Amino acid sequence: MTIQSLTQRIGIAGKDFVLVPRDDLHRHAEVCVEAGAPLMFMYATEEANGFVVHVVFSAEDGFLTLKAELPRDDPTYPSLTRSIMAAHWYERLMHDQFGIVAEGHPDWRRLIHHENIPEGTHPLRKDFAWNTKLPHANVPYPMHAVTGKGIYEVPVGPIHAGIIEPGHFRFNVRGERILTLEGKLFFKHKGVEKLVEGKTPEEAFPFIERISGDMVAGHALAFAEAVEAASGVAISARAKHLRVLWSELERATAHVFDMGNMGGNGTGFTFMAAQGFRMVEDMRRLYQSLVGHRFLRGAIVLGGAHDISEGDVEKIRAVIDDIERDMKKVLAIAYGSDGLMERFETTGILSLEAAKAYGARGTPARASGVTLDIRTGHPYAAYKELGVSVVTEKGGDVAARFKVRDRELTESFRLIREVLRTLPKGEAKTNSNFKQGSALGAVESWRGAIIDWVRLDAEGRIDRCAISDPSFCNWSLFGELAPGNIVPDFPLCNKSLNLSYSGTDL
Amino acid sequence: MTVTILILQFFLVLAAAPATVGIVRKIKARFQNRRGARITLPYWSLLSLLRKEMTITRHSSWVFRIVPFVVFGSALALAALIPSFAVGILAASMSNIFLVGAVAALGSAFLVFGGMDTGSTFGNMGSSREMTIASLIEPAVYVSLASLATLSGSWSLDGIALFFAASKWVEIILPASLTLVALVFVLLAENARYPVDNPATHLELTMVHEAMVLEYSGPYLAMLEYASWIKLTAMLMLVMNLVAPWGILTSPFALGATLIALVAFAIKLGVGAFVIAFIESTIVKMRFYRMQEYMSLALIVALGGLAISLVSIAV
Repeated sequence: MTIQSLTQRIGIAGKDFVLVPRDDLHRHAEVCVEAGAPLMFMYATEEANGFVVHVVFSAEDGFLTLKAELPRDDPTYPSLTRSIMAAHWYERLMHDQFGIVAEGHPDWRRLIHHENIPEGTHPLRKDFAWNTKLPHANVPYPMHAVTGKGIYEVPVGPIHAGIIEPGHFRFNVRGERILTLEGKLFFKHKGVEKLVEGKTPEEAFPFIERISGDMVAGHALAFAEAVEAASGVAISARAKHLRVLWSELERATAHVFDMGNMGGNGTGFTFMAAQGFRMVEDMRRLYQSLVGHRFLRGAIVLGGAHDISEGDVEKIRAVIDDIERDMKKVLAIAYGSDGLMERFETTGILSLEAAKAYGARGTPARASGVTLDIRTGHPYAAYKELGVSVVTEKGGDVAARFKVRDRELTESFRLIREVLRTLPKGEAKTNSNFKQGSALGAVESWRGAIIDWVRLDAEGRIDRCAISDPSFCNWSLFGELAPGNIVPDFPLCNKSLNLSYSGTDL
Repeated sequence: MTVTILILQFFLVLAAAPATVGIVRKIKARFQNRRGARITLPYWSLLSLLRKEMTITRHSSWVFRIVPFVVFGSALALAALIPSFAVGILAASMSNIFLVGAVAALGSAFLVFGGMDTGSTFGNMGSSREMTIASLIEPAVYVSLASLATLSGSWSLDGIALFFAASKWVEIILPASLTLVALVFVLLAENARYPVDNPATHLELTMVHEAMVLEYSGPYLAMLEYASWIKLTAMLMLVMNLVAPWGILTSPFALGATLIALVAFAIKLGVGAFVIAFIESTIVKMRFYRMQEYMSLALIVALGGLAISLVSIAV
């Protein structure tokens, strides 16, 4: 479904940003979703006389954004969540950030605000200073509970036994069987969206790179694409290819890590973790020698990418050849182990219907049969020239997510080699002047789609930067895929999704 | 003299227990192409735990405080009773299979109480899992011990080990083979090893043994850890002495034979640790709800062993 046919169906003329009356927003959104354009992102902005809610849909030929204006004295609109599940967290988020009320939302609790944040705190409003000291409040946050004979509540976290970030999980179990699972996140909100306001894109860039430690290239690229599109900056062909190179290296590293972690720490097939982490370390050392940072900070820059020399090309080739060869051996042992596959198969099944309803992104979505991949759906950098084959599986279980990673790894290695072979000559960075404008930037990070919307003011400073991280969309999937499984299998489900606490809590 | 040998056996097991765990960890690390920590690390872990402060939750009762002593005491008794180094010694008459089984069960039961006493979720989860596993593996334990008793005509572990040491290996190993396989199943399940439990897990949701001791710290934790290592070492040596009954010290106790027995002890411990490490490196931890298949298999193998034993003494 193209943008034009979508706007025709809605019955309102417009290109990619369409203003609709607030009372019709939910109806028009339903039309889009039913026509096969999934809801990808919702964000709000503050304007002179009120607020604007933006809803982004993915059409065949681009993103369609429906906008609705809300007056300052009555910032309400009918909730989209009642018919579009994917909107559920965004609407709660917009309430915490701006005080916008989605009327009829089925679960109107706070989202990013904790118990100690006073009522009526809306930090993304312009009159709220980023360094405001808030008094301690105690606003209740009731969690869902199941009652009945033999039913237990198992609280896990927010402090865990490993070196991981905080997240609280509430299991309702009967014996070992999980009945419901609810997560409570946002313990360490960083406030990136607020912090970057008023900064130039260059000043904001380090904040963006630190949104999630293991997807530096992903977030940096989404932000750079948005800023460049907003000010009409064109980058060189070499830079575009280099952006693919760094993105695919990041994807390859993450997939090797995840497969090792799922087999090694998820099921106790320890050799996979040892080998996987060893390979990840080899890659991180390569990045240290290439860009000076083990997690690729500085690989993507505004107006281009970090350049590589002829010698670097050989270095990268040598490392990925080694990794591909070793990974093949590890995977042959993994697929050959009945015990391992038995743990993977039928564990943590996410149905296609649920994946679509929740707006799942990335590997979990594709393992359930969702075909969306921003690299082909909305090509950026040099992906159109290079071509990407989207990997999907049908099972929706841990095994399917493992296989998607395996096959995507192969595709990443192909893309990396292709870039190294065909890297165009020229400058890797364009000196750019960022000026007033606004635009969306979307990339497929290794975890899934990242969509940023950036608006620059007359001085080229950031007025609003809305960021959509794939972990934010995928955390609530646990409520779908965990019930029916047993408690000891939850860590495996968790590793098969490998979501970022920090990315959600941006 | 037998008292000296008994004391020697007792302290030998106590001294070797941390090394057993150290060797298993080292070999597992080598299997993963890692260098691994030194074999002596568990000794230092115990010492550092002993020096640490204990934090005991105020939601615990006196049960929580006596558990480490009962569990540790049970392990000490096993170290003395199980023929790991010598047979025909003072403790022989006390090593009745039901008595040894009960002593081991006492330790397990109190560990479960310790897990439940604080009322924490993980402790209770671990205790519930431990009881599930324990009750499922129990039949295999007693059937395999009974088949050994049938074979050797003795109801004591000492007599069984003596019988194995005195018989010709080729004649005894065939009728005992299935029973010994069943004993390996039991050994792994009773000592929180793969595929039943993961002794190295950091994941609170998958733990069994580790979940029960989660609330313990300092010297109490040292006692519980040490107890589990002693139990593993003693049971491993029992199985090794049945599979390879060479070099075990028998009366009359001469100095030369004692030295040979010491060497044999070390070799058997090393081989046993290697086997455990090999199993843990090549298989995956089982899904908890498939545990009954493992236990049923153990029982069926044990029953087969019993059948063979009965037939072999009849002919």
